[in-house]
Amino acid sequence: MTDPIDGGMTCDEVRDLAAPFVLGALDPDEMDAVRGHLASCAEPHPEFAELGSVVPVLAASVPQVEPPPALKDRLLAAAAADLAARRGASGATAPSVSVPSVAAPPVSVPVATPTPVGTPPAAALTPIGAVPDPEPVVVMPRRSTGPSVGTWAMRIAAVLAIVVLGGWNLLLQGQLSTAQSYEQAVSAILDVAGQDGSLTVLLTAEGDGGPTGLAAVSASGDVTLAMRDLPVTTGTQVYQAWVIAADGVPVPLGDFQVMSPGTAFFTGDGLPTEPGIVLALTLEPGPGATVPTLPIVSLGTATAAG
Amino acid sequence: MSETIRPLPLRVATVADDADRSCLMRIAAGGSDALDELYERYKTMAYSIAYRITNDATLAEDVVQDAFLGAWRNAERYVAGKGSVKTWLLSIVHHRAIDAVRRRKPTTELPDVELVPPAQFQVPDVWAEVAAELDADDVRRAMATLSDVQREAIELAYFGGLTQQEVADRTNTPLGTVKSRMRLGLMAMRRVLTPDEHEVEPS
Repeated sequence: MTDPIDGGMTCDEVRDLAAPFVLGALDPDEMDAVRGHLASCAEPHPEFAELGSVVPVLAASVPQVEPPPALKDRLLAAAAADLAARRGASGATAPSVSVPSVAAPPVSVPVATPTPVGTPPAAALTPIGAVPDPEPVVVMPRRSTGPSVGTWAMRIAAVLAIVVLGGWNLLLQGQLSTAQSYEQAVSAILDVAGQDGSLTVLLTAEGDGGPTGLAAVSASGDVTLAMRDLPVTTGTQVYQAWVIAADGVPVPLGDFQVMSPGTAFFTGDGLPTEPGIVLALTLEPGPGATVPTLPIVSLGTATAAG
Repeated sequence: MSETIRPLPLRVATVADDADRSCLMRIAAGGSDALDELYERYKTMAYSIAYRITNDATLAEDVVQDAFLGAWRNAERYVAGKGSVKTWLLSIVHHRAIDAVRRRKPTTELPDVELVPPAQFQVPDVWAEVAAELDADDVRRAMATLSDVQREAIELAYFGGLTQQEVADRTNTPLGTVKSRMRLGLMAMRRVLTPDEHEVEPS
């Protein structure tokens, strides 16, 4: 095929530009024209792979220089901020990421909630350290007495991938805003997960389509849990959270009701802090159950966050 | 034992379970350290090339950070494509560094076409393995095959961020000659590195 595609370049013209293309030596319009041709041309253009394959060798020919160690912390912290920015942007295009200052103010979880229902989330989030803020603020969560920012950043990055990948899928589906409340609850969990010795738990339902959630257990045994897709409770019904340690005996953590279907947020304390403990959720006819009523709504096993 | 019980009715979450579940599964499968791991593996390569192009430690750090963030944000889209992550990452670092030296305002999001190179531009897996095993000696030999004018054209473009037209102007050489020097130089390097096959087999 030698005819121009869409009024663009011919195959011969494109072949002629293969070397400067792989070297990045075309102006932006030319780069786009070549890309456009390659994307739509039925003819093979092996010259691009042939010439392009040498480019990594050029890169390898430069003197090897180690980046400063602090760059990794900056990167992971910026990734965390990037995530927070996406959540804080109400589904709008993610703003460009600026490197968060190491001296960021103490914990401030994004609390932007365009259409809050019931208790204002800011107030409800207070126990785990959220500071109410009238604006969608993106601030790196940071504990004033926590581990170093580097340690924190690495730990948080491990947990963040959950939310990032989740947020990614949501973004792709254009549904970020509908999940925002859950993401905000998750940001509170991230705060806990960033501490030394914390555990994270993924809760899933048996089979397809049940409630799922995410929890973090701090080194001191506090648990922060966010669940989604929970059916509403009726009458005296409550959801009860349980922890099952090595002895296999379910110990009640507390209960909560879900008035509007969807997301719920729960905190409790006194948990054992070894990896391997299991968190479970059951639906009970009333508060105060000492033995779980089956079936289990959702459960997961704790793993080290770091 | 159960104290701070805090029901928090929030807005209804109607997001498809599948999206959520798939992300949870990826974490469960141990993918959570991806960015950390990617950085550890390629930080030296990325920083070295960024520093070579920008000749500025601060700028190079910004470029590397920006490039890894871009890769991280777009990893999922990239996964669909087949090709060397190293090459992909390298191309992002290179483009960002060139942008930086050209004093262009870096785009906040790379266009798709840049993130997922056309199939023709993806390095065959076979080559990627060969390239991974290249030692410094191979690289030196390959660079040594370049004539002075070929090396000048290639280095001005790849490390200097000059377009082919700018290389032509700078070296006072016709544009067609510049293109030839680039192409012949790259082909010469390739012959040194893959002495047994002078044509790439479509993979």
